[in-house]
Amino acid sequence: VSAPGAAPDAGTLEALRRPEERIDGAAKVTGAAHYAADVARPGMLHARFLASPLAHAEIRSIDVSRALEVPGVQAVLTGEDVRGIRFGRRLQDRPVLCWDRVRFVGDRLAAVAAETVEAAEAAIALIDVELDELPPVLDVDAALAPDAPILHPDPSGYAYLDGERKPVPHLNVQGRLLVERGEPDLDAVFARAARVVEATYRTPMQHSAYLEPHATLVWIDEDDVAHFVSTNKTPFGLRKQLSVATGLPAERFEIDAGYIGGDFGGKGYSVDEWACYFLARATGRPIRAVMRYAEELGQVNVRHAALMRLRTAVDSDGRLLAHEARILLDGGAYAGAKPLPHLSLAGGTATLAGYRVPNVRIEALTVYTNRVPGGHVRTPGEVQALFAGESQLDELALALGEDPLAFRLRNAVREGDAGAAGEQFHEARAIEVLEAAGRAIDWQRPRPAGRGVGIAMSGRHVGAGKFPLRARLHADGRVEIVTALPDQGAGTWQVLRRSLAVAASIDESRVVLNRVPTSGAPFDQGVGGSRTTHLGSQAAADLGRQLREWLEERLPRAVPGVAEGAALRDDAIVGAAGEPLASFDDVVSRLLAVDEPAELSTVYEHAPHGPGEPGDYDFCACAVEVEVDPGTGAVRVTDAVLAVDVGTVVNPVAHRGQLEGGFVFGLGGALLEEMHVEDGAVTTLSLADLKIPSVADVPRLRIVQIPTLEGPGAFGAKMAGELTNAPVGPAVANAVAAASGVRVRELPVTAERVHRGLTGRSADS
Amino acid sequence: VTAPAWHRPASVDEAIALLSELGEDGSVVAGATAHTLLRKQGLVSPSAIVDLGAIDGLDGIVLTPDGGLAIGALATLRAVETSPIVRERAPMLAHAVGRVATVRIRNQATLGGNLAHADPAQDPPVILLALDAQVDVAGPDGRRRLPLEDFFVDVFETVLGPAELLTSIVVPPVPATSLVGYEKFLPRTADDYATVSVAARLDVEPDGAVRDARVALGSVASVPMRAAEAEALLRGSSRRDLPIDAVVEAVTAAVDPVDDVRGSAAYKREMAGLWTARLLRRLAAAPPVAA
Repeated sequence: VSAPGAAPDAGTLEALRRPEERIDGAAKVTGAAHYAADVARPGMLHARFLASPLAHAEIRSIDVSRALEVPGVQAVLTGEDVRGIRFGRRLQDRPVLCWDRVRFVGDRLAAVAAETVEAAEAAIALIDVELDELPPVLDVDAALAPDAPILHPDPSGYAYLDGERKPVPHLNVQGRLLVERGEPDLDAVFARAARVVEATYRTPMQHSAYLEPHATLVWIDEDDVAHFVSTNKTPFGLRKQLSVATGLPAERFEIDAGYIGGDFGGKGYSVDEWACYFLARATGRPIRAVMRYAEELGQVNVRHAALMRLRTAVDSDGRLLAHEARILLDGGAYAGAKPLPHLSLAGGTATLAGYRVPNVRIEALTVYTNRVPGGHVRTPGEVQALFAGESQLDELALALGEDPLAFRLRNAVREGDAGAAGEQFHEARAIEVLEAAGRAIDWQRPRPAGRGVGIAMSGRHVGAGKFPLRARLHADGRVEIVTALPDQGAGTWQVLRRSLAVAASIDESRVVLNRVPTSGAPFDQGVGGSRTTHLGSQAAADLGRQLREWLEERLPRAVPGVAEGAALRDDAIVGAAGEPLASFDDVVSRLLAVDEPAELSTVYEHAPHGPGEPGDYDFCACAVEVEVDPGTGAVRVTDAVLAVDVGTVVNPVAHRGQLEGGFVFGLGGALLEEMHVEDGAVTTLSLADLKIPSVADVPRLRIVQIPTLEGPGAFGAKMAGELTNAPVGPAVANAVAAASGVRVRELPVTAERVHRGLTGRSADS
Repeated sequence: VTAPAWHRPASVDEAIALLSELGEDGSVVAGATAHTLLRKQGLVSPSAIVDLGAIDGLDGIVLTPDGGLAIGALATLRAVETSPIVRERAPMLAHAVGRVATVRIRNQATLGGNLAHADPAQDPPVILLALDAQVDVAGPDGRRRLPLEDFFVDVFETVLGPAELLTSIVVPPVPATSLVGYEKFLPRTADDYATVSVAARLDVEPDGAVRDARVALGSVASVPMRAAEAEALLRGSSRRDLPIDAVVEAVTAAVDPVDDVRGSAAYKREMAGLWTARLLRRLAAAPPVAA
């Protein structure tokens, strides 16, 4: 069994190779798992909401008198009832209910609680609202114009959690990341370059498309503690946000995340919880809200659409010399869906994360517009930036008349190199993944007309932070993990179970999970940021080692005459020569016969690396072969390869699912997923219009795993959830260019966009 | 305020009586796949739903005396797709019906519901137009039969009165010398609605002369449509030398698509012509029809 940083031994690797039986599998397939929408309380009321029909308007009046007359209606709240109360994960800029202004189609104007959903809806329909339309700001360029309407004229009054907000260059900027490296006069560097390519790239608003809609049940108990059953993967985060927004102590809020049915970035941000809390206060009764999918698509949290202007230069040896990128991310009406201190997207500067470029300026701005708030969607920022950067690399290679893979291999980071944004890597595996992907797709093979291959690479950090965990060893041999951490479907709980069991050398089936509300467990950061397997595996493995030590120290009490060298191995007590001495059950039952359960606890901490410090990264290269229909422009992916550097795998089934699922997620973004917006309103309001790929749309896919065992997680684990989706878009666009000569600079690479290029019209207009 | 009343009449007559009583308040469902989506999106909000699922004997698929097919309105799409007699007598009908959405939907949705829904992006109406299908309608004033072509009025709108039901679909015998095909252009996902779809039927003489022709298209107008001018151009031509350029021009002029998530109107117009041409070329290249 390994200590942090050491390679695992053969026995540990064998234990980790066993396909896992998920800790939550039986409950989910039998329907025993209760999601937030399944939970009810006696006397519960149902909440529905009135959303703004306009993208930008002043509220002249709201009349709820007719709504209050609907039988079954118990409360109708408007902005006047919650004036001044705003919410958000970092910056609290979104009103619970708007009282003076609405800033996007979907901004909430009123909330109704009624005995039935139908009564609540009937009441909503009877609320009379008078709005005075204001000129809307519908794109990022317009928002940054010097004379643009300012959407949040006085943000100084907005609460900012944990620290102070950095100043912004324009009031319509939510947050900013800026990387500047090398020579300060970048124009001079470009002027002396051998070749410069400059282009504008776009990616659309996209949705996480989880299966389970957001849902919440809120009630206030006799001690004035507000209980939330909530589809929120960061329960302590929600608790803190509620505490800051209301001015009440955090202990007055109890968050129970329950099971979460899919996340893909979108379940860290809660909307309905807020108005439901005030409805619960107003009525004294439990309030439940379950989002309609149209609300999910139009009112909550979308991937930032991006407008990206890039220029990149090479010297006469074909080496990257300079890179400039201005990444404008459409943050929509509120910044509150974003959790990070800079209020931008951390991946927004990752245009060329795995490449050496000495002179760089990359700016990633999130911008206020009158559209749906932008938040985190799987691999936020990288999906946008990497599409631009990796497309531009191909354009540069083609301009030089060079093979795009050879061009990448010359410029990719090697051990000790920094990436374009100054990233320092513990293990730079760029060359390995590029070469492996090229080999697997048979890069050099001549292909018939209409077919071509493309490649793109991502290098993404493994998240870090703090992870507390507790467990109890019971007299019956069960090991109970106690945590408030939800599992949004990625297999977090199973990571905890297996890591503990393998480190302790006990049978995995002994480990059970007791998920508790926030008051029953120490603070944790929740799920996200590609940190959970890293930190959770370490914390759980530490508990496993503690358990083994606890038991081995007490062996003389439980096994009379036990000799030195006896140990817990493979779920039994064995002597120094490996001879069986006693069963785990017998020993534990003897040791705990009279005592309380043995309590174990740990806090694992791995501070995020600072600027310029080496960090842990996963590398992934995606290579695809496509076929382009010359008549229609339709693109079919005929073959796909992922070459990944993922460290030690803890749960092989879930891990494979993350890599494959990430590819399919990326494929949807590459070829078809695009939320359409008219006058600021999302018009793709069902998954019948906003299609995502199904299994019938998945091409042949092979995964090549680079054998590395040095990740920061227990046993050498890294991350897998936010790795494989980002490079798929640029790989497909690059393959389409190779197959057809058409460069599409806007995702998704739809048939119509390619067709426009084939017929000589601009492909990206 | 409550959920809509849910009625399950046991016979067509009972359903008609119920609908006559309910007037505009009643909404008919069979498989309810499309209706449920419309309801969830708030596009329909009936106070009463008349569910035809309890009516016996309306899901049969039988041969008619002349060798055609009579398909009960409540036959599921999956039943039509897998029916041995449909596969034998009208294989392209089985094929096109099998292109609808996913097998989960096809197990639930019915052919009658599919037509009465009058969604111009559906597959079955297009192939049925090419096959000269007729529909039987029952209502308070009795029963009538009309050509499918006359059934559709507009998006989600048919000639059915509020108390009328579509009871069966009649497909005339397809001559052994006919060439029939269906193309569904799906650039997004396998389970999507067509960006454009086209069905064609060429009734060919042994010498290759095209005695009669049908060209029908989906997703390109407010209703599933026939391209009459294109049909006229094909009629009297030879399968060895179809006037494809002229047909493409006629189809392109006849269609009236809208911009939506599946493409711009201009793109769909062009694709309607392209897929018609591709389908006709494929049919023309099919093995010669037996004399």
